[in-house]
Amino acid sequence: MNSPLLLAAAGEVGSDFFKERSSDTLPCQAKPNEVFCFDWARENIDRFGTPTVQHLELVLISLLLGFAVAFALSLLAHRRKWLQPPLLGATGVLYTIPSIAFFFLLLPVTGIGKDTAIIALAAYTLQIIYRNTMLGLDNVPSSAKEAARGMGYTDRQILWRVELPLATPEIIAGLRIAVVSTIAIATLAVFIGGGGLGTQIYGGGNLTFPTSIFIALAIVLLMALLFDLVLLTVQRLTTPWRKARQT
Amino acid sequence: MSDAPAASSVRYEETTKVYPGASGPAVDHLTLEVPAGEICVLVGPSGCGKTTAMRMVNRTVEITSGDVLIGDRSVRDREPAQLRREIGYVIQQIGLFPHRTINENIGAVPQLLGWKKERTRERAAELLALIGLDPELGDRYPAQLSGGQQQRVGVARALAADPLVMLMDEPFGAIDPINRERLQNEFLRLQAEIRKTVLFVTHDIDEAIKMGDRIAVMREGGRVEQYATPAELLMAPANEFVEDFVGADRALKRLALMRVRDIDLWEAPLAHVGQASSEVRAKLASPDVEVAYPLLVDSERRPLGWLSERDLTAEVVPQRPDSPLGPVLELDDVMRDALADLLQGEAQYAPVVDHQRRIIGVLSVEIISEFLKSPEAKSDEHPAVERPHE
Amino acid sequence: MTGSLPLSSLGGAIEFIFSEQTSNVTGGQKVGGFEQAMELTLNQLEVTVLALALALVVALPLGLYLGHKGKGEFILVGLANGGRAIPELAVIALVAALIGVGLVTVAPALAILGIPPILTNAYVGVRQVDRATVDAARGMGMSELEIIRKVELPLAVPTVMGGIRGATIAIVATATIAPLAGVETLGDFIINASIYGDDGRLAGAILVAVLALTLEGLLALLQRRLTSDGLKVKTA
Repeated sequence: MNSPLLLAAAGEVGSDFFKERSSDTLPCQAKPNEVFCFDWARENIDRFGTPTVQHLELVLISLLLGFAVAFALSLLAHRRKWLQPPLLGATGVLYTIPSIAFFFLLLPVTGIGKDTAIIALAAYTLQIIYRNTMLGLDNVPSSAKEAARGMGYTDRQILWRVELPLATPEIIAGLRIAVVSTIAIATLAVFIGGGGLGTQIYGGGNLTFPTSIFIALAIVLLMALLFDLVLLTVQRLTTPWRKARQT
Repeated sequence: MSDAPAASSVRYEETTKVYPGASGPAVDHLTLEVPAGEICVLVGPSGCGKTTAMRMVNRTVEITSGDVLIGDRSVRDREPAQLRREIGYVIQQIGLFPHRTINENIGAVPQLLGWKKERTRERAAELLALIGLDPELGDRYPAQLSGGQQQRVGVARALAADPLVMLMDEPFGAIDPINRERLQNEFLRLQAEIRKTVLFVTHDIDEAIKMGDRIAVMREGGRVEQYATPAELLMAPANEFVEDFVGADRALKRLALMRVRDIDLWEAPLAHVGQASSEVRAKLASPDVEVAYPLLVDSERRPLGWLSERDLTAEVVPQRPDSPLGPVLELDDVMRDALADLLQGEAQYAPVVDHQRRIIGVLSVEIISEFLKSPEAKSDEHPAVERPHE
Repeated sequence: MTGSLPLSSLGGAIEFIFSEQTSNVTGGQKVGGFEQAMELTLNQLEVTVLALALALVVALPLGLYLGHKGKGEFILVGLANGGRAIPELAVIALVAALIGVGLVTVAPALAILGIPPILTNAYVGVRQVDRATVDAARGMGMSELEIIRKVELPLAVPTVMGGIRGATIAIVATATIAPLAGVETLGDFIINASIYGDDGRLAGAILVAVLALTLEGLLALLQRRLTSDGLKVKTA
């Protein structure tokens, strides 16, 4: 069975886009096999503005949400060891389900729009951040914990002043992976009406064209690179002791 | 550093620890008193409960029954975390916080106690000086320090809040022997100044004898077989267990407790450069001469070397003696080291000099062994506070 | 939004999977039903397995070899990070627009998405094998190939399988939107809700989720079978 060409409105950008297209007579971007059309790019670069902002919004909110939940779960599982396997399994399930399917599993509950996208994206990051946080906490040298306890630190003080600071590198490593993945997956938000750069790849029920796709791709990759570098810098700044080696 | 006594006694009263599911108690009704300002060493084979006993003082191991009192207060009176902030704690693996600078590590307990930043900073500087570290190291991270330096910081950290009691669990165990000796000596020097009450756990009897004012030899169940000063332990072990643990060489171990000044030295016939050989030979011929060779000294009576038969064939005592001086000892030297020097130097005699290097007498292996056999040596009570150290 | 309760949606979706429905759009022609669901599932499975096989053939030997030699770490780390950053939607779209539609073009594209995790994990898996163990093996007279086969590979199984599972998840996810490039997978139900209706859309989502979880479960079982008992023993 073939998918018929339909004017199903998946978003406002879609219908606008269609109108614009039909008014031209085979411009460079519509030519088959035209890989990149610089003229079009130059003229239409500002149409990527709003989608980029939407994309950023999706990424930042879902990361904050995902981090908050995963971090809370880690602290819980750190105290109660028996929670670790089930939590790992549960977050693993969320990670395994393809995001686009996840959007529509949530649909009956949360509806169309960016909220659903955000919840699904956040769910995807849970396992990454949870696992890395647990790893970081496990790697804290037990001699430091023992000394802290013997010196008179309470359990809570040990967690916040010794364990978590020392686990920071792993936690941030997890965040970096989560950020990069989320930026990529957020392109799928277009399918659930969540906006984002995916709208420039698949708009109006149809794939767009190479030039637009390439630009969207480039913005996504650049965003990922930027966030990765920022987090790397944050890690360097918050862990000065790692640079110090025996002189 | 305050001169007010900042140390309390520690008293175990029928202190018992039973782990759930264990066949017997780890520590069985331990009763022991550590006087304030003294180092009490808990020594024994692994698993005897010495570490468990020590850790019941700061409740890193909870007491099953009985009590531990610091001064007059039971340790069970207070919140564990509060209690521990008043007790210095040094462990074998040190456990410095990798993510904090040395100053921050040292200032950890003061910070917990709410000291002002300025006061903490001053205290950290004071302690760094006390343990003999460059104040510049204060801003470095533990990873940048050597093992020996880290261990010293560990001790400084334990002293930071001027605790009443110090607990040290094999603190020098992970260090190489050379640095271990240095650290032990430095700690003893420190202790002479600050006089803390210290509970020191080790499995090494030599360390116990060196460090302890009092030693508790333990066996399984934390049972104390003997609680005595090092001298008592060496001269009068309470039973076979203690005797075996102390070791068959306890006579030699006693030498670690003595100094050269404690013994009667022999006199060597002295010779000066340019003196007539006949005079020297006359001295040698004397019936009560103790040493068979003349010692060449300068005008200040400082030893230059030993004279041989050949040297004396000349008219006049030569400037350069045949035999070199060999090991030279001082009155303050530890007897065991003196014996080691003699044996290693393959010297029959070693001159003993004062601080200006002037000859006082001569020591030989024979003198030492005679002394050990003498009744005087057997009955001597060597005061516990006199610690021989470098 | 429709405002329908989740449970009733679920009911509709289940019905869609098992019995054919009348579509609003195609005027009378039936959609859905068990046969169609199975067809699309099998299609998705087909392209996934194909892509995975391709990725394994390329990445596994290379990763194991590089790990054994200890070369190329820098590039591989970059590859792993880069691979994660590529949006699958763009890949499918570009393949469809520039290369061509159909299984022949889509499967390799999916394989490329699966290569980074397999490659990186194969490298890391071999690398983290205790050098002392490898030394001992070499000293015993094992050839380089034997070392890889008998020592490094068994010890690297957990990490390597982790990479394969990660690749599978990525490939299955991308295969879901493969209908955009002419490969009719379960994503068709999701993307073309206008034909299949809300029920069809939810049905598609459920089927994709089940497929992904089943594959992951099977691979987890496989990993357990392949992991030697010695590795499974956890130190206290």
